[in-house]
Amino acid sequence: MGAVKWLMKKITKVFGTNTSSLFYSLLYREMLKEINAITHDEELSLLVMREIGKKSATESCERHSSIFKFMPGTPEKVLDYFEILWVVVFGKELEDLSYEKIPKENSQYNDYILKIQNCPICASYGTAPEDTFDVSKLSPESEGMACGLCGMLQSVANFILRIKQNEYRIRMIEQKCMAKGDECLQLLCKVYDYTEWQEFKATQKKEQLLSKVYLEEEDEEFLPKSKLDLVDKLQDAFSLDKLEEIIDEPLESIKSRVADIIRDKLGMEPEHFFDYFRNYEDDMMRIIGFLFIHLLNEYGSLVEKLLENDTIAKAIGYLFKQLKEMILLFIPLDVVNDYHTLLINFLDGLAPSEMVENIKEFSGKDDLNYLFEGARMALEDLGIDFSELKENVWEELKKEREDGLISADPSMIDKTQERVPKIIQIIQELVMLLTEILTLPIRVAISEGHYGVKTAVNSVVSEEEGLAGSIRNRFDKIFDQIQELRQ
Amino acid sequence: MNYNRSDLLLADATMNQLRNAIYHLARFLNRNGVDNLKERLRQMGRNISKTYMKYWIPVDNVNLNNIREVIVTIYKNILKSSVSVELNEVEQLIIVNDSNCPLCKYQYNDVEVAGCEIILGMISEFINMINGNSREKSVLLLEPIRVQESKALGNNSCVQIFNYKLGGTR
Repeated sequence: MGAVKWLMKKITKVFGTNTSSLFYSLLYREMLKEINAITHDEELSLLVMREIGKKSATESCERHSSIFKFMPGTPEKVLDYFEILWVVVFGKELEDLSYEKIPKENSQYNDYILKIQNCPICASYGTAPEDTFDVSKLSPESEGMACGLCGMLQSVANFILRIKQNEYRIRMIEQKCMAKGDECLQLLCKVYDYTEWQEFKATQKKEQLLSKVYLEEEDEEFLPKSKLDLVDKLQDAFSLDKLEEIIDEPLESIKSRVADIIRDKLGMEPEHFFDYFRNYEDDMMRIIGFLFIHLLNEYGSLVEKLLENDTIAKAIGYLFKQLKEMILLFIPLDVVNDYHTLLINFLDGLAPSEMVENIKEFSGKDDLNYLFEGARMALEDLGIDFSELKENVWEELKKEREDGLISADPSMIDKTQERVPKIIQIIQELVMLLTEILTLPIRVAISEGHYGVKTAVNSVVSEEEGLAGSIRNRFDKIFDQIQELRQ
Repeated sequence: MNYNRSDLLLADATMNQLRNAIYHLARFLNRNGVDNLKERLRQMGRNISKTYMKYWIPVDNVNLNNIREVIVTIYKNILKSSVSVELNEVEQLIIVNDSNCPLCKYQYNDVEVAGCEIILGMISEFINMINGNSREKSVLLLEPIRVQESKALGNNSCVQIFNYKLGGTR
């Protein structure tokens, strides 16, 4: 699995509202039973459940639309990211999934069959007296128990296509259901062009079965005409699938891609673009730091939401200050300078030579300071009041105890005692993570010198022993700690 | 081989979309003439408890001494939420304050019921089933009273109120 996909899944899971999967599955069952108590018709109940799933997923997508702007924008790619959709919808890792392509003549895209070996909705279904929704009454052609989930997945996929202004739509049909006795959950993903889709929806409205119950009318689907903000402009160039490709490519390819993006999106030559920053190279660095934080925030305004909580804002503020002060203790200056050289190599050929010369006069340490200054401005924008922070976090804790802000209620003390080690562990993991990332040029340089490029690449990308694996483990720990803290 | 329900105990699921679905279900039930929506939701909660208890039980019996801890444990384990529990021994009430209720987050103008009615039914059934038909005087039985506050009704957190009776046997 690609690094970006993995990170996206982790972020989605950590920042969602979680319950135990068993509760989720039983709540889903109860909803289906309530619908059936109205319809007294199992097949109709599944259709209603699917409609409810579709509506609830669309509602959720509309609330967090900026997240989906970074998803890939074609039906094929969206299905390629099915694992992320599954995590977005169900919050659980998809452990066993296989694809089968069904070639489709006279169409730009193929249909797909997805086979999933583990369906949480059907788990142990039929073993409890409360499992009263009778699957034996379903005809073999009918969808199965996971149709609500299927409706959710379909809506998320189509929301992405709509927001990416793609005219194709996906219909997901549950062909096999384990509660019905099938060997797996099987979804048929049919791709429609926009006209076919409208025709399909029209026939669905006339469907006899659904007209037997009162169901809310589905909103008319619209196709956005214009692109509005910075994210909209960048989404084509920086969608997840493109980021995955970029991460895997060497510097020259990245340079050529960046040049293409500047030409396509901004309509100017890269040299002209960078010329705007000539003699303002320090500001350019600050802008990079500033934009980095704001781009992080574009994923569902997560940073902003985190910083709404005063305690978390303070904790992140202290972490940021600490990081800025200590970064050179952890990272050898040589490493920082290696990155500085990497930046110069990157700009060489893209930016005017005078600008490259100006940047050569900076040191790696200067780069870091400018980046931190920019990031600090962005964090201030998003809610951290740095002027309120003490010299270090321990003074802050001492102050709060004197003020009595930490409750004397024993349960609160317990909570604090439980949380502090986790926060410290997160900070420690973050610092270690940063250190590992920043050793990248040294690893590459040493490996390259001794064993050639192949070994260098392996030392970085190997999931078990390489830097990538180590970073992934560290992120796993950080996400676990955050998840525990949020509970 | 598919999961079984014990496997699901060990995993977390993201509620965002299913939470929205509760309110779409409420609209559907309203439109189709259901007039006892709160009771329907509580019954859903009771049914969830009945099945859930086959796979997980926090303690063998619940009394006045451990009721707060038991409720906190159930919320933490099932709903992944940290709640505060207040005991009013004069009125025999238990008041649960949940600032991160997984079933309520947004206020809907067209739905007048809170999703955590489900939790009200679930918690009371959980406690009552643990204590079963015990005739011990110290065990306690729970009855859902009301959702006093809810994010779904425009409040900042969800406050669920239960009435308790000592003495076992329903």
